[in-house]
Amino acid sequence: MRSVDIIGVGMTPFGKHEKTPLVEMGTRAAIEAIKDAGIKSSQINIGYFANMQAGNLTKEFTVGQAVMWGAGVNKVPVFNIENACTSGASATTLAWMSIASGQYDIAIVVGAEKLNVPFVPLLNPSMRDINVLEGNVVINGFAQRAVRHMHSFGTTKEQLAMVDVKNRRHASMNPLAMFYKKPVTLEEVLNTTMMADPLTKLSCCPNADGAAALVLCASELSSQYTTKPVHIKASVLVSGVFDEWPDMETFEEDQRASRIAYEKAGLGPEDVSVAECHDAFTICEVMHTENLGFCPIGEGGRFVESGATSLGGKIPMNVSGGLLGKGHPLGATACAQIVEGVRQLRGECGDRQVEGAKVFLAECMGAELRGDAKTCTVNILQK
Amino acid sequence: MSSELKPMLDGIFEVGPPPRLLGAHCPVCDQKFFPKPVVCPHCLGEVQGIDLSSEGTVYSYSILRIPNMMYKFPQPYASGYVDLDGDNIRVYGLFDPEKVSEIEIGKRVTLQVGQIGIGLDGKECLRYYFTPQDGGGK
Ligand SMILES: [Zn+2]
Repeated sequence: MRSVDIIGVGMTPFGKHEKTPLVEMGTRAAIEAIKDAGIKSSQINIGYFANMQAGNLTKEFTVGQAVMWGAGVNKVPVFNIENACTSGASATTLAWMSIASGQYDIAIVVGAEKLNVPFVPLLNPSMRDINVLEGNVVINGFAQRAVRHMHSFGTTKEQLAMVDVKNRRHASMNPLAMFYKKPVTLEEVLNTTMMADPLTKLSCCPNADGAAALVLCASELSSQYTTKPVHIKASVLVSGVFDEWPDMETFEEDQRASRIAYEKAGLGPEDVSVAECHDAFTICEVMHTENLGFCPIGEGGRFVESGATSLGGKIPMNVSGGLLGKGHPLGATACAQIVEGVRQLRGECGDRQVEGAKVFLAECMGAELRGDAKTCTVNILQK
Repeated sequence: MSSELKPMLDGIFEVGPPPRLLGAHCPVCDQKFFPKPVVCPHCLGEVQGIDLSSEGTVYSYSILRIPNMMYKFPQPYASGYVDLDGDNIRVYGLFDPEKVSEIEIGKRVTLQVGQIGIGLDGKECLRYYFTPQDGGGK
């Protein structure tokens, strides 16, 4: 297996882009990543496009080839990838495999999503899923975890709300975030509309439009193009267990994916300088912090309250603003997490820069089946 | 019970009385399932149809306060996981829409079937749900 680097990144602002079509958003991120990498479009050997809802919301399919050609990439293999919120990271794992295996030298990954359309129904993985027919929607699964976490570990609704306050504070320092310069208070989070107890409206990440892109290159070649390559130490994708006894208190997928990733990277949670996780709802970040090994199981609520996950803390989480502060354009989200990681390791993040960041971890999770995450990804990057 | 109403999906439950969830059992793995899978996913052997327990304990729940228009559920409504007595299986289901405020972790519940919301064809239909047992709470 060959070592693989990320040599270029690009990202549109996340938020409402009512007049910009999906393809154009993806293309703009791709162009930025290609220019950042210092390569020509014709040097790209393979492309992966990540998106979740285009078939559903804007009635488009096989979008990736149009996105890529807009950025001058044609003729080479292009794959369209859907894996819920992890689509962008799943595409990255495929791009990494393509290069690590020796089959290709340079790959591009683009994630894009357009959610600001006239009507977005409550998200559910399948109308025929028996749990969906019996009332499950995405927010319910996480409210059930929050209820269980509070019951078993004494986590408070204030601690959950602190996740949003922190991530909105982080987002206020990120010009690409939907909530740039728009922090919130604990009272505001607690007092917005109750969606599914204990999750209020501000405990849920907002829908957003946006795109993000990465250029990956075999490490042995990357010095031809850049002086600041970022190494991919591990790129892991796992699926859920789906057995007859779902556990709402832990994310077994996080534990399994991160254990594989730490082992491959030869690193542990104590080595990570800065991390992004799938904070679609406040409870998610509390649980990811535990299940990725940054604090003991059950301690996530008290950990966020201690300030350990804030910028300047022991392990800053979602310094980009996360999904809560940046917005959540599904197919773009996991690519954007990695874009933040690359920029943190390059020291390009301005006010929200984590001093001396050396190792970055991105976790993402998507969709539910029988009480487990269908898909979970962990990527570890090193300077 | 309105006899003209159909279950939201065939092969999931018996209307009764008494109502029953239609599960399955793999004799090789000694594992129960709900709903009945094509084969046992652990050994790919044939499974036998069985009735599951109609009583259990609430493991976790959520109360959705915003509208769920997909199936025109009541607003608010509660749903979540119930550990069925003696079956070693945790099933997802609605809770009694009239008793949302009584649902809590550890609450003892009993299976019911009644009209809640609409089905895939857009018509009113029957769903299974769990109702709290009087005095059976924690
Ligand atoms: Zn079996």
